[in-house]
Parts: sequence; C-alpha cells; structure tokens
Amino acid sequence: MTGLERYAAPQSLDEALGILQQGEVTILAGGTDLMPQTKAGRIAFKPTLMNIGRVAGLKGVTLDGGHLRIAALTTISELLRDPLVAQHAPVLAEACDHFASDQIRNAGTLGGNINNASPAGDTLVPLIVLDAEVELASKPNGSVSTRRMPLAEFFTGPGRTKRAGNELLTAVRIPLPKPGHVARFYKFGTRPALDISTISIGIAGIKRDGALTDTRVAFGAVAPTPVRAPRTEAALEGRRLDSDAIEAAAGAARDEVNPIDDVRASAWYRKELIHNMTKRMLDHVAQA
Amino acid sequence: MNVAEKPVITADSLIGQRIQKKDAPEKAAGKTRYIQDMIVPGMLHAKILRSSRVHARIRSIDTSAAKALPGVHVVLTAADVPDQQPIGVARDHLPLKGERVRSLRDEIAAVAADSEEIAEAALKLIRVEYEDLPVIATPEDAVKADAPLIHPAPLDADGKPKTVPPKTPIAFAGKADNIAMRFDYTHGDVAAAEAESDVVVEDTFQLHYVTHCCMGVSGVIAEFDASGNLLMYSNTQVPFLHKREFAEYLNIDPSRVRIIQPPIGGGFGSKLDIYPFEVICIFLARAAKRPVKMVFTRKEEFLASPTRQPVLLTLRSGCRKDGTLTFRQVHTLHDNGAYTSWGATTPFVMMQTFSSLYRVPACDYHTTVAYTNNPYAGSFRGYGNLQATFAIEQHMDMLAERIGMDPLDFRLKNAQEAGEVTGQGMTFKSCGFRECLTTAAERSDYRKKHADNLAHRDAPGPVKRGIGIASMLHVGGGAKIYPSDGCGTILKLDDFANVTLITGASEIGQGSETVLSQLVCEELGLPISAVTVVNNDTAITPWDVGVHASRTTFIAGNSAIGAARKAKAKILAAAAKKHGCDEATLDLRGGFVVVAETGEPVVELARLMRNLHFSDKAELVMTTFYYEPPSVHQDKAFKGDVSAAYAWAAQVVEVEVDTDTGIVKMTKVTGTHDVGRVLNRLGLEGQIEGGVVMGQGYALTENLIVENGVTRNPNFRDYKLVTAPEIPEMDITFVESMDGEGPQGAKGVGEAPAICIAAAAANAIYNATGVRIFALPFTPEAVYRALRGKAEKPHWEAWQPE
Ligand SMILES: Cc1cc2nc3c(=O)[nH]c(=O)nc-3n(C[C@H](O)[C@H](O)[C@H](O)COP(=O)(O)OP(=O)(O)OC[C@H]3O[C@@H](n4cnc5c(N)ncnc54)[C@H](O)[C@@H]3O)c2cc1C
Repeated sequence: MTGLERYAAPQSLDEALGILQQGEVTILAGGTDLMPQTKAGRIAFKPTLMNIGRVAGLKGVTLDGGHLRIAALTTISELLRDPLVAQHAPVLAEACDHFASDQIRNAGTLGGNINNASPAGDTLVPLIVLDAEVELASKPNGSVSTRRMPLAEFFTGPGRTKRAGNELLTAVRIPLPKPGHVARFYKFGTRPALDISTISIGIAGIKRDGALTDTRVAFGAVAPTPVRAPRTEAALEGRRLDSDAIEAAAGAARDEVNPIDDVRASAWYRKELIHNMTKRMLDHVAQA
Repeated sequence: MNVAEKPVITADSLIGQRIQKKDAPEKAAGKTRYIQDMIVPGMLHAKILRSSRVHARIRSIDTSAAKALPGVHVVLTAADVPDQQPIGVARDHLPLKGERVRSLRDEIAAVAADSEEIAEAALKLIRVEYEDLPVIATPEDAVKADAPLIHPAPLDADGKPKTVPPKTPIAFAGKADNIAMRFDYTHGDVAAAEAESDVVVEDTFQLHYVTHCCMGVSGVIAEFDASGNLLMYSNTQVPFLHKREFAEYLNIDPSRVRIIQPPIGGGFGSKLDIYPFEVICIFLARAAKRPVKMVFTRKEEFLASPTRQPVLLTLRSGCRKDGTLTFRQVHTLHDNGAYTSWGATTPFVMMQTFSSLYRVPACDYHTTVAYTNNPYAGSFRGYGNLQATFAIEQHMDMLAERIGMDPLDFRLKNAQEAGEVTGQGMTFKSCGFRECLTTAAERSDYRKKHADNLAHRDAPGPVKRGIGIASMLHVGGGAKIYPSDGCGTILKLDDFANVTLITGASEIGQGSETVLSQLVCEELGLPISAVTVVNNDTAITPWDVGVHASRTTFIAGNSAIGAARKAKAKILAAAAKKHGCDEATLDLRGGFVVVAETGEPVVELARLMRNLHFSDKAELVMTTFYYEPPSVHQDKAFKGDVSAAYAWAAQVVEVEVDTDTGIVKMTKVTGTHDVGRVLNRLGLEGQIEGGVVMGQGYALTENLIVENGVTRNPNFRDYKLVTAPEIPEMDITFVESMDGEGPQGAKGVGEAPAICIAAAAANAIYNATGVRIFALPFTPEAVYRALRGKAEKPHWEAWQPE
C-alpha cells in the first residue's frame, strides 16, 4: 500500500550517487523522521528507498584544514561524545544534550536532522550561528562533484531545502573558532527530554572587551525555517554588553520574529520567550 | 470508633514486608502476553469507522465498495443491527450510530477482515454523507435556554416528536434538554452559617480534560461457540457486571457469557464501563461466525477512550476569625460529552470532600452535568476528588490567609477525627488525618519553608521557590454504589500444601495478586511462593463487583482472609484429631502445624494434607468465603456511611517557578498516608509513587486539548505525560491507624496519592509568586500568562434550572 518498489543499500558514495542520479529515490538514514512521517501519511515513499547506512566514509568527525568536518551519518549520540566537537563546537554538543532521548539519539543522524528541515530541528540553530556550510555531492555526468553552501541559506521552507534530487548531503563543515569565540544555545521545551522546541535560540560571536563582534543570532521554531536575526545581530554588534544593550537586543529579537499559534504555544508566548531568554543568555555571556 | 490492636510483628510475618509483585518477573522480561499478543485460531481483525464530523445528521452510508474488497468478511452499520440496545449509565448511547453523530469519536461502521491492513483499507472505501448540525462545544452553551439539543426526540412521519412508552431509554426517546444528570446535596443551614462567618471567599475553578494513557491500549476478542455461547477476552475492570450487561444487549442468558481477562496493561478506571467497540466486536463475531479481535491504535485510544471529567466549579467558603469553618456552597457544571458514562457520576465522590474532609456545619452542593459534542468522560482514579480537592484546598489556604492564620493550623483546627459522624453520614472509625498533616508538615519543614519563601518572593532573580500543602479524604473500605460491594473467594490446598486462591478480584497492575497471597500466607503460615492466584475467568472465579473505588485490598483481602481462616480451622481440627491434642493449642507456621505456645512442630502441613486425602475418609481442604462490607447504600439525599473505612492523606509539594518562562519544576513531594496498616510496603510505595506522578501530570503537563469538539493532540508528542527526569524527589510515610474492619487493619489506597498534588501545587505556586491560578493545568504558558496578569480568571455564575 506504498509506492515503494525497490530497496537499495549501497556500500560506496559512488554507488549511492549513481542510484540517486536515476531519480525517484527516498533517502533513509536513521529513519527517525522518515518512518513516523511516512507512517502518518505526511510524506510518501518514492519508488526506490535507499538506505545510506552502509555507505563508507559518511561517518565521523575530522579536522579538515581550518574546518571541523562532520560527516552526514554521524549520530546525535556520537556528536555528544566526540572530543573534537567538545573542543571546537561545544554549543553543538549542548544542543544534542537537549535532543530527543537516548534511543532516538543513537539512531538519528546529523544529515537527517538537516535534511528533514524542520524549523525546530535542534542542531540547525547552533550550526547556523557557527557559520556552518553543507557539502552536497552528486554524479551528474559519470563523475562525482561536490558543492558547498552556507547552512543559513540551505532551507527554503518546512521540509524543503536547496538540495537537488540527485544530491546527497555528505558533510557539514564548521570554521574553527577564533580566539574569544563564544556560543550559546537555548531550547525551550516543556520538559527536559523528548520535546520539540517551542522556540530555540543560538547566539555566537567574538567577545572582546565586554563587546561582541561577528555576532550571529539565530532562532528556531519561530518561522517556516530556522532563521538568522539580522536586526538583533545589528543591535549587538560591537556594543558593550551592558544592560541597555542587552535589553535593546532582546527587544529587537522579540520584534524581529513572527511566530505562529499552534498546540504547543501561542505566538505571543513565543515572542515573550524569545525576549526573556535572549536577555538571559546575553546576561550570561556578559558575565562569563 | 473501630480501631484494631496492632499486633507485634513476629519475625516470620509477611505483613509490612517489601514483597516483589508476583507478576514482576514476567513483565520485566517482556513475557507477559497482553491482549495485543493474543492470537485465537481463525480470528479476524476489526476496525471502526468513526465520524469525521463533530455533530451531524447522517444522510447516507455506502459500504458496497468496502464489502467488495477481497479479505473483508463483514461490514456492519446501524442498519445491520436493528436489535442493538443502548449502553451506558443513562442508556443514551447506541454502539453504532445510524442517524446522527454527536462527537468525533462516534462509531458509524465496522469491518472484520483477514488482516488489520485490509480492515483499514476497507474503512477508506466507506462513503458517508453528512449534514452538519450546530456544535455545542461547552457546557455553558449547552444549558442556555435556546441551545440545540444533543439528544432530540425522534420525529414521526409528520415531523412531530414520536410518542414513546414511558421508561424508553434516552437513545430512543430523546431528551428535552441537554442536562444529563443533576446532583443536589445539603446539610445544615447555609444561610445562617454564612451570616455567622467573618470571612467569605468565592471563586470559580476550571478543570481540564486528561485521559488515562494506559500503556496497554483498549482491546477485545469476541467469539461464539457452535451453541451460541459468547466467550470474550477483555481488559475490563468489572467482568461480572459486564457479563450481565452484555447478555442484556444480546438478549441472551447471562450464563452464556464468559469473560476471560488476559493481563491488563493498566486500567485507572478507564475499563469500568462498556464501550461501543466491545459491543461492535461482538456483533462482528456474531455476523462473521469467527473470532474477531479489535485493538485500538494509540491515536484511537486518545480519541475514543474516556477522559477525566472536565468541571467548572464555583465555590463559596466561610469561616470565623478563630479559624472555625462555617459553610461551603458549591455549584459545578460538568461537561458530560455526548454520551453518559461514569464521569457523570463523579459528584458522588466530590460532595464527600466538600461535606466531610473537614468539619463543616453547613454544606450545599449542586452539580449539573450537561451534554455537549465533546468526547465523553468516564471514571478515572480519584473519581472527581482531584477536581474537588483542587478547589477546596486552595480555599483553605485563602481563608487562612484572610484571617491571618497559618494554613497548617487552620487545617488542624478543622480536621476530622476518629468517632466523627459527618453531615453526610460518613462515620470515621479509624482516622489518622491529623497525624498525616503534622507528619507531612514536619518532614518537609513546611512552616519554616512557607515563611522563608514568602520573605523571598520579591528577591531578585527569576526563579522563585514555593511550598504548598493539601489533604484528602477518600473511601478506603469499598464503596457501596451497587446493592452489593462484596467479593467471593474459593481457596484450596493441594497434596503439597500449595494454595490456589481463586478470587473475584481482578488484577490490573495494582498488585492485588501479591497482597491477597500475602494475607492468605499470613493465616496459613506459608511462604508467598506457595500461592497461585486465579482471578481472570468468570466461569471459574466467584462474584466480585469490580476493581474500583480503591476497594480490592480491603474487600477481596477480607474475603481471602475469611477463606483462609476457614481452611486453617479445618486443618487444625484435623491435626488435633490425628495427633490427639486440642486444636486451640495449635497454629500454622513455616509450613508446619505447630504448638502455638512453643512453636514445636506437630506435623508438616504437606504431610497432613496427604494423610487427609489418602485415607478412608478422604477429604480435601477447600473453602469458600464471601465478604460483604458493613457499609450502606446512600439514601436519595446522598446520605449514609457508604464505605467501611476511610483513607486520609496530606501531601506537601515543593516547586521552583521560573518567572521568565512560567516553567514550574516540582522538586519534592512529601506525602503521609493513613493506610490503616502497611501490608506490602514495596507495593504500597509503588502505588503512591505512581499516583503522585499521575497527579503531577494532571497538575503540570497533561492536557487533552479539545477545541470545538476536536481533539488537537491525540499523541504522546503533544499530550505530555511526565517523563522520568521530571519526577520529583519523594518522601513517603505511612500512618497506621489500624482499621478495625480492614484486613490486618489496612485500608484502600489506590486512588489516594493522585488526589492532592494539583491542589498542593497551586498553593506552592502562590507561596512562590503571590499569584493564585484557578485553572488547570499549570503549563508554562498558562503560568506565565497568570504571572503577567494576562490569564483570564475563570468565572461561572452558579446556575440552577428554574
Ligand atoms: C521521539 C522523537 C523525538 C525527536 N526529538 C527530536 C528533538 O528533540 N530534536 C530534533 O531536532 N529532532 C527530533 N526528532 C527528529 C529526528 O530524530 C531528527 O531530526 C534526526 O536527526 C533525523 O535523523 P535520521 O537519521 O533519523 O533521519 P531520517 O529519518 O533517516 O531522514 C530524515 C530526512 O532527511 C533525509 N536525509 C537523511 N539523510 C540524508 C542525507 N545524508 N542527504 C540527503 N537527505 C538525507 C531523508 O530522506 C528524510 O527526508 C525526534 C524524532 C522522534 C521520533
């Protein structure tokens, strides 16, 4: 009773991209989004289901020049434990610590979280404030080619991205942090685990002399995609983090987001949370 | 007063020990076979088509395509079962709806097929044409003079209301208003008592929808044998009542209905009524001439199983400056949903709390239960008491504050004591209420923390701490809501001195098998492993009214003790005869008949059993006992001593409120329960901890969101059960008031632990923030709104029909 005709489990990237190139493929990683969504009838399987779990080289965290490279099949649990992540992108590990439950973390992958493109996806906001970019591979004319794109530009709507049908997300690259780099993540859920973000906030920048530069602010679950907050960033950029600056930034954040009402929260409450928690996070950054 | 002497516990006594539940290894190993796991040879799988409209007339139903689908055996609609009879307390509910749907859960058609998938596919092929009717989404709207009727009288050919013979059930005769039930209770002179009051407070409290969330979803298997006898595998909590009712609906002799209960994955009151799916499954089995199994999906469980009763409650309470309560006046409006189940009758319990938790000279209580197009409410652990306690225990704090008295002192001043007969006629034989209050308060350091928190309310920082107390009264010795509240036991000993305990009392996870075995072993001097419990087959077990009202340990326990004592008398008499001694000098201990005074063995029990059996006057030890508690059926004015004993508790809840987010973290619960006597300490602690968490969910997280008759969150993602890391630290202690009627002095406790939590949490939030919240649940957004003065205070004018 599904449109599924074929199951493929390629062993190499080349093979996987070849299958993708033939078109009409649903990619399966951990399946923690895909399976509930197809079961609920929200998305339909394409004729080919391709399990990428056995593709060599799609797992693990490495240093790649000035970048931290996280391969797509790295699970949330692995991110939580990874020493390179702890050293160079602790805010990502922090986000993973608020993610689902152990069972889901063991199966769910970073690539899946990104490609599911939920506005509430918990790794997305920290990755955006870390200036992460995605690496997309395809085999359009017999040979493998890759392109990169800033994650902040990757999302086009709920469940929609700029990934082309023949592309596989192979990795995420994060520039290694400069001295003085600070980053914070906050997720509001009504309980400590197993909750979808009502809102989430990421803040990053270089802190010097009590002020932030290269400021990045991003919000989750307040728009159809995770979003950067340019006005909030501008309110902070280069200003001393005193109570006026913090209040101005929190106010800008509240005005900048345009969330919706749903069963989880009203728009008004989401805006209040954005204000109060942006303020609390900035207080902590100022005091740190 | 009826209080038993507390015996000295001997080293080999099982009473008060921590005894692992008999079914724990099976469950922990995943070996328990629930109804979900059962396969009956030849069985079909059934699914129900439910309404896609909240309130509508059914224009037509076309099942032809579904019937034509290969693998489909039977498709039924109301038209196929012209003999169907209405179910439910008010007989207002036909299992299959033919003319009208009144809520989104309504059953329109059912399919039995070779597989669940085929049955599911067949449902999609059924075409239903509806004509929408106006939706009544709130009980306030339902009781308006010009409100459309939920159960209008059927019309004859000329469009006039059909004349029907008197006593025709509502399902056929209709109802001229939307009022499903009314309850009116009074004692004392409220007006005079109010005039004597120095302080009067009045507030409206609003209680929300929650549902049981049993891990084992609803399910049933029905099968007829060649002679037309019905066998059901059912999760019911009331097999003997159901046996009779199913027979009535099917117009067959009750003795032709046999109910077997596989291990039940949770009940909490949800399996106390007959539901359409069960009757429909029987119809399918009858039509298919094959066994038919129907099991809900989780979504279906959320949409189509009963809820706790949502209530609007306006309470007026008064007291004098010296702290004496003067009166209470209560008006409640209950949302019945579209059909009447046990939820409508929760006022029976609610009024007990208002009339009798504290000494109150005058009490006036009124409930109107109104039909709406919402999901209908059933019974749920606590049975109205969570709602009543939420209101009354907040008013206790509010009154205390108004007269400048400590909330604990105010409660102690008005607390019931043993010997008291309340205005409602409840007689408190054993009563550890005061000790519950003082123990819980002392162990939690309530007074000091309460004062400290008040002093720190305005200190800087977003997180405020609070502490709150609440108490409860609940039946603890059964509840005589039927002419009988009894339970039967059959007990037999085999040639090896192992006991088979055949009891009417069902096990629904509460640990009854273990506690009953314990009570029997205590009498017979045997280890717990010597007992096998048989409790799940109406063809074998003796009658019992059902698992409800916290009654099983008390009622079935007394019944089991009765049977065991008869067996013991028989054994000792036989031993005395055989060994030439006086039976009064003998006792049973450690698997032996012993000399009571010295403990010196006379004969091994197993050996004696064999001697009895294989002799010329062969005899087996088999006894029966039926226990009926000395309680009474309430009169028409709801007065009478409805339970053989009453349970008490006080619980102290501590919270941290994050005023930036509204998140309320429950940090600690200190509870003291008057349980009469601790029987199985492990089982008791488990019961209390589980109940506290259920109360926590009711208070903070669980909320079945029903908007215009539509359930918005039928899943565990958005219906938030408490998860493990949220569970507070608990300090649970017991008061042993040694009830004179209770089995070994014990009283019922099953419902008690969930009752106070929401009320105590409300008081704690007030202590922390100075903001009192009158509506549940205390979700972060609701609390945040209240803290910012943006929550509308519920208001409901006491309403009475003219
Ligand atoms: C109970 C539960 C709790 C959850 N809690 C959270 C939570 O707290 N926070 C959160 O953010 N998420 C949560 N999720 C969602 C989910 O677990 C995560 O999004 C997870 O990271 C998805 O990874 P996956 O490997 O399972 O993806 P899959 O389900 O396998 O795939 C998800 C989507 O991405 C596509 N895809 C996967 N990998 C690639 C790739 N390499 N290239 C291109 N496309 C690809 C798939 O085709 C599919 O459309 C929860 C899910 C469940 C069931």
